[in-house]
Amino acid sequence: MNKSKKYMEKKIESTFVIVGGGIAGVSCAEGLSFLAPEENIILITASPLIKAVTNIIPLGKTLMHFDVEEKSATTLDKKYKMLQVIHDTVIKIDTIGKLVEISNGEIISFKILCLCTGAKPKLIAENNDLIVGIRDTESVLQFSQKLKNAKRIIIVGNGGIATEIVYEIKGVEIIWVIKDKHISATFVDPGAAEFFLNKIYSKSDTSDNKNMPSKRMRYVVSDTTSVKNGAALGPDWHNSFDISGTCFTSKNVHVEYECEISKLLTSDEQKHLNSTEKWPIYAQLTNGKIIGCDLIISATGVIPNSDICGLENLKKGEDTGLLVDWKLETSEKNIYAAGDVCTADWSKAKHWFQMRLWTQAHQMGRYAAKSMVSNLRNEEFLQDFCFELFTHVTKFFTYKVILLGLYNGQTLGKNYEILLRTTKDQEYVKIILQDGKMQGAVLIGETDLEEMCENLILNQLDLSMYGEDLLNPNIDIEDYFD
Amino acid sequence: MVVRQYQEELKYLEKINEYCWRIKKGFQPNMNVEGVFYVNHTLERLMFEELRNACRPGAVGGFLPGMKQIANVAALPGIVWRSIGLPDVHSGYGFAIGNMAAFDMDDPKSIVSPGGVGFDINCGVRLLRTNLFESDVLPIKEQLAQSMFDHIPVGVGSKGIIPMNARDLEEALEMGMDWSLREGYIWAEDKEHCEEYGRMLNADPSKVSMRAKKRGLPQLGTLGAGNHYAEIQVVDEIYDKWAACKMGIEEKGQICVMIHSGSRGFGHQVATDALVQMEKAMKRDNIETNDRQLACAHIKSQEGQDYLKAMAAAANFAWVNRSSMTFLTRQAFAKQFNSSPDDLDMHVIYDVSHNIAKIEEHMVDGKQKTLLVHRKGSTRAFPPHHPLIPVDYQLTGQPVLIGGTMGTCSYVLTGTEQGMKETFGSTCHGAGRALSRAKSRRNLDYKQVLEKLEELGISIRVASPKLVMEEAPESYKNVTDVVNTCHAAGISKKCIKLRPIAVIKG
Repeated sequence: MNKSKKYMEKKIESTFVIVGGGIAGVSCAEGLSFLAPEENIILITASPLIKAVTNIIPLGKTLMHFDVEEKSATTLDKKYKMLQVIHDTVIKIDTIGKLVEISNGEIISFKILCLCTGAKPKLIAENNDLIVGIRDTESVLQFSQKLKNAKRIIIVGNGGIATEIVYEIKGVEIIWVIKDKHISATFVDPGAAEFFLNKIYSKSDTSDNKNMPSKRMRYVVSDTTSVKNGAALGPDWHNSFDISGTCFTSKNVHVEYECEISKLLTSDEQKHLNSTEKWPIYAQLTNGKIIGCDLIISATGVIPNSDICGLENLKKGEDTGLLVDWKLETSEKNIYAAGDVCTADWSKAKHWFQMRLWTQAHQMGRYAAKSMVSNLRNEEFLQDFCFELFTHVTKFFTYKVILLGLYNGQTLGKNYEILLRTTKDQEYVKIILQDGKMQGAVLIGETDLEEMCENLILNQLDLSMYGEDLLNPNIDIEDYFD
Repeated sequence: MVVRQYQEELKYLEKINEYCWRIKKGFQPNMNVEGVFYVNHTLERLMFEELRNACRPGAVGGFLPGMKQIANVAALPGIVWRSIGLPDVHSGYGFAIGNMAAFDMDDPKSIVSPGGVGFDINCGVRLLRTNLFESDVLPIKEQLAQSMFDHIPVGVGSKGIIPMNARDLEEALEMGMDWSLREGYIWAEDKEHCEEYGRMLNADPSKVSMRAKKRGLPQLGTLGAGNHYAEIQVVDEIYDKWAACKMGIEEKGQICVMIHSGSRGFGHQVATDALVQMEKAMKRDNIETNDRQLACAHIKSQEGQDYLKAMAAAANFAWVNRSSMTFLTRQAFAKQFNSSPDDLDMHVIYDVSHNIAKIEEHMVDGKQKTLLVHRKGSTRAFPPHHPLIPVDYQLTGQPVLIGGTMGTCSYVLTGTEQGMKETFGSTCHGAGRALSRAKSRRNLDYKQVLEKLEELGISIRVASPKLVMEEAPESYKNVTDVVNTCHAAGISKKCIKLRPIAVIKG
């Protein structure tokens, strides 16, 4: 009783409360500040650094390129008068009393709450110092320290982060273990992987881009021990960290296709190996090979951080994400969720699907703001158009990569057709057609086709009469559909 | 498409004068009227090259040459006078881009076709003048260009510069620039210098699909991509001092701002929705066309009327867009030069639409008729004394704004009496492109990539340049050739040439 009385005295009131200082949380805070500048907003972040989206370059109606910058949390308060950033962790959320309890004992009451707590990396084994998951600022820091003396590492996973690590790490022998038949399968098809391979094997000659001047402000986390579950990384994350090993042998990447790590060898098993080399850790692959290395990097996907005390009653999806409706509202009224922590549970548009990416975290954060403000003011609103079409822009191996719609024929089975144009080391254009209508596209390099593809996927115009002429390099197709 | 030998095709083409060719009936089936196209020597060569390439065996593809597209439009029901190709004509969906065609409103068979308007409905150009000179702007042009569309001001007006929610959007679709005026973003006199005073009165937002509305709403605090392309330009040449003076352009070196934008995604959806409806209407009403892309409906039919009302709403949307950019431009200049937009004399010289269909009165064979004029990639160019042009330009003729492709020159022309007679007061809209050599020179290389992709078990088609155009070194129709042709042919008159010094592209 005494205890709760003490809390009552420290109670802070705020119209909006956001939990999480990642891209979704910060985008939501900025959106709220824009749409409802007169309302109080509190952002609670576990890390002293927050993620802000900068340099937005729209490439189409729903497609945009942006940079993610790490900023010290105070930069946000300064920018928006009604926004207060609290650097602390959430202990408990009371959905009925609409209260958030944080670890310093303070209680914050809210009218509307948005959970942007992100996700954490899946690890192949817990509590092993030689296995790191890369997902957030903290894990990269840990990783770059461990990498310093490494000679050989194993990378498990085939998504964006794994792809970047393989390209960016220098001076270390890399064994890349992927369960697919080709690299970067989360994002691209085997053809594009082939297009990229050239770059991977020839990357050693470009190894001194570290010396290039850094264009952005960098902040350093000084107190690493206090940071846990910080915000997810943004694109270009590796610029802030030194990810070179000390062993400057020539570039060496070896890909193990269609396999996974079946187990780690115990110290007993290690003794039976007749090897001249001695490695700190050995992994056995499903193809039977046993590989020793200094470090295993696990980049095999994420698990939503949805276990928050007090939210046990919120409905969750199979992936343990918090289920949200088209308004991004969870099963509990006035509690919203955006970004990696949520799982889309509305009837989705044909050309959109959820993927835990910066792009979607940003879109969801901004849209959650719109939805929350409309709720507060009791206004009608329409779902943002970005949920009509999957879009993602990224950079792999120095190429601009744009993914649109069902870019790998997702959900279409084998019932589609590919239209292809590629020039070695220059561009790779793949268009997915079904019944003569465009369903998706992969655009690598400077193709200038993004806006046209975006419109044609949304329009569902019959393109069958053009056949492969649609990509005829003689024809400037960009303004044909103007 | 009728496939004939190139030499056979040439029999249907006849040179009327140095700048104009006739396409005779029979070039394509069922032509109701003849086609014409305007060219100079260079453009003529490109047009014929395109036809010759299309006549080669095995060259029949989805892309028809401009001449064939003009002729197919001449076969549409209710068309009067001629199907007209402007000098910048190039391949487009349905109608070629740079094609004007008018349909008799009193003929029940007459049609309206979304392909004759284009997807980016009311794409157009607006020109603002200033009393600044190149030397004032050059030192700070980068900052100025940067600041133009950087931030959308919050708290100006009651709702924001762009319609942000469903209700704002409905109002903006209905009111066009009257919405921007009511919200305090434009000056009352801006409207005077726009076609239709920046508002099509027959706009009906209820005829616009929910999907189109969603597609039109901006994401938070952005104007959206492609939606903004503006240039800071310098007056490079004045051809008609008197007319330029009427537009407030006194001498070379004066700074102007050109804004080029349209309805983008919103227009795309309106057009797409209409195409679907019209395909059904065509079956019902037994309308036949030479090309499936020329989907259309009788003007008086439900589908025809619905499209015209939705198109008008999209047109209003585009004017609101250009008005928002006008506001931001004025703000940016005022801030940089520490002066009010008024003191900088930042008036709208004019605002033209080059993707639109309008009901107009014209003389056809000596009789006055009410026509539905489709202008796709074609700009209205009314002559002096026309009742629909503003007081300021009654003596000069309507200003016609021609934007080059980014980085090239732009022009201001004026409408002429001859243009009124020959082309129903229509002229070109910009540069033309359809074929490019740059990309075909690339060394397409599929072997390894294909091997990998075949594992997917999906049918794959690869693109390749089928024809090598040895004869045409560059198939690009440059804006100077285009404008000079219009001037020489007399369908509009050169007034001012502008040169860009900074480009803002979103």
